[in-house]
Amino acid sequence: MRTTQFIPLLSAGIVGVLVSLAGVPVEPVKNPFVADELKLPPEKPVLKAAAGVERVTGNCLLCHSAEYVTTQPPLLRAQWTATVEKMRGKFGATILTNQVPAIVDYLTANYGKESPPK
Amino acid sequence: MSRHTLIKRLPRRSFLLQGVALGLGASAIARLLAEDTLTLPFLNGERSLVKYPQKRPLIRLTTRPPQLETPFGVFNESLLTPNDAFFVRYHLTNSPPRAELLQPDRFRLTVKGKVTTTITLSVEELKTHFENAEVIAVNQCSGNSRGFFQPRIPGGQLGHGAMGCARWRGVRLADVLKAAAPEATAKQVIFNGLDTPFVPQTPDFLKAIAVDQALDPELLLAFEMNGEPLPWLNGFPLRLVVPGYYGTYWVKHLNEITVVDDEFKGFWMNPAYRIPDEPCGAIEPGTTPKRTIPITRFNVRSFITSIEEGATLKAGVATPLRGIAFDDGHGIREVLVSADGGRSWRAAELGKQVDRYAFREWTMPFAPERAGKLTLMAKATNRLGQSQPMEPLWNPSGYMRNCVEPVNVLVA
Repeated sequence: MRTTQFIPLLSAGIVGVLVSLAGVPVEPVKNPFVADELKLPPEKPVLKAAAGVERVTGNCLLCHSAEYVTTQPPLLRAQWTATVEKMRGKFGATILTNQVPAIVDYLTANYGKESPPK
Repeated sequence: MSRHTLIKRLPRRSFLLQGVALGLGASAIARLLAEDTLTLPFLNGERSLVKYPQKRPLIRLTTRPPQLETPFGVFNESLLTPNDAFFVRYHLTNSPPRAELLQPDRFRLTVKGKVTTTITLSVEELKTHFENAEVIAVNQCSGNSRGFFQPRIPGGQLGHGAMGCARWRGVRLADVLKAAAPEATAKQVIFNGLDTPFVPQTPDFLKAIAVDQALDPELLLAFEMNGEPLPWLNGFPLRLVVPGYYGTYWVKHLNEITVVDDEFKGFWMNPAYRIPDEPCGAIEPGTTPKRTIPITRFNVRSFITSIEEGATLKAGVATPLRGIAFDDGHGIREVLVSADGGRSWRAAELGKQVDRYAFREWTMPFAPERAGKLTLMAKATNRLGQSQPMEPLWNPSGYMRNCVEPVNVLVA
């Protein structure tokens, strides 16, 4: 019997919620978030296996995926150096000073070039 | 304007279920789920086409944070870019924000700082307490087409697909600001969204505009895109829309508006997203600017969308040309088309201007006369007389490319 009393109360509550402050009925917003649909694809891209790769993975890939490196055109050593310094100086990357040369060496050797084409 | 009517969305099915419903066999489903690749026409332009939530397979530039580019063929299908094909650009590691932070019971927009009244609103309260407004406007990444710069520039190596045109619906930023009542000393308004960096010392993505601009009734706090709630990856549940301005200002998952009485000097305003303080923001390639200013408005662009680079056409066969043009809202006055590499030009027929901030369609009857190589070009001019350079301009960040884009074809 308690149930029959409860239903009208619940209905009144719902009607109350569905009337906006302006007194106009508002349809409940369809929540577009269905958990199963909102899974980002797994992170697959990897850096070339070569000397120094673990330093790049352990530092650079904390904040961003490998394509930030792999999609660049072949950058000069000076450009990779500037990029690493920008990450340390402007973006707050905690790359130790003594790690920088190995990281720049790896990036220049695998995703760059030493000097401009003649 | 009458109260906004909520758009009912059909329940979405997974890609796989749709395949089953269409009666596709297992091999067809495997093909649908397999990762396709394509190559953008510049060095190191190999990319995967990847399916993201609420998106069709898009050109993936980066995985974390996600940066996705619209396959160019989409721009030939409709003037409005479908939500599931619209480009995605994030800056900070934790992007997009976790879905639970964006739920209606949790997400709130706060307007604070140098205001008389700090206000906090749910999206539903925004919708119902303020007049709703719409604009059909292009959003374009500052670095759209960066991959084509010569010399090449470090950064997001994008083709032409970091742009799109949508019908944005929301409330006017000006109305919401007025409700909070900025103080007389207010100078700038800072926008912040829920995306966050991996380490706290990385500058949060904050963008600022002058109070006068913020009170322009054209700026929207948008909750809908093409009649649907914003997709997760395009800023659900609320983003800033700044018609005519580069996408960097269109802050996504916008939850904090702060009025300040000085000039905001955060990283994403300075030194990021700046152009040389020179005509057209351009300097001699490879040089350093003397002075820089924040990037602001779009320049004029146009594209041929009906024919891709390297296509083969048939001599004597009618091959109508179609494309799009846009600028920062002055409106497109003319599109000229050349089929001989820019030696001679003919005026294209312009489609209806659906909104001065929208893509403008153009069409041109065309039938190549004889076999050989052809270079097709489109060149737009806006109502101010601003047009597109034949040769690319250059700036050190690879922003604002707007030169005439040749499309080379073979006539057989």
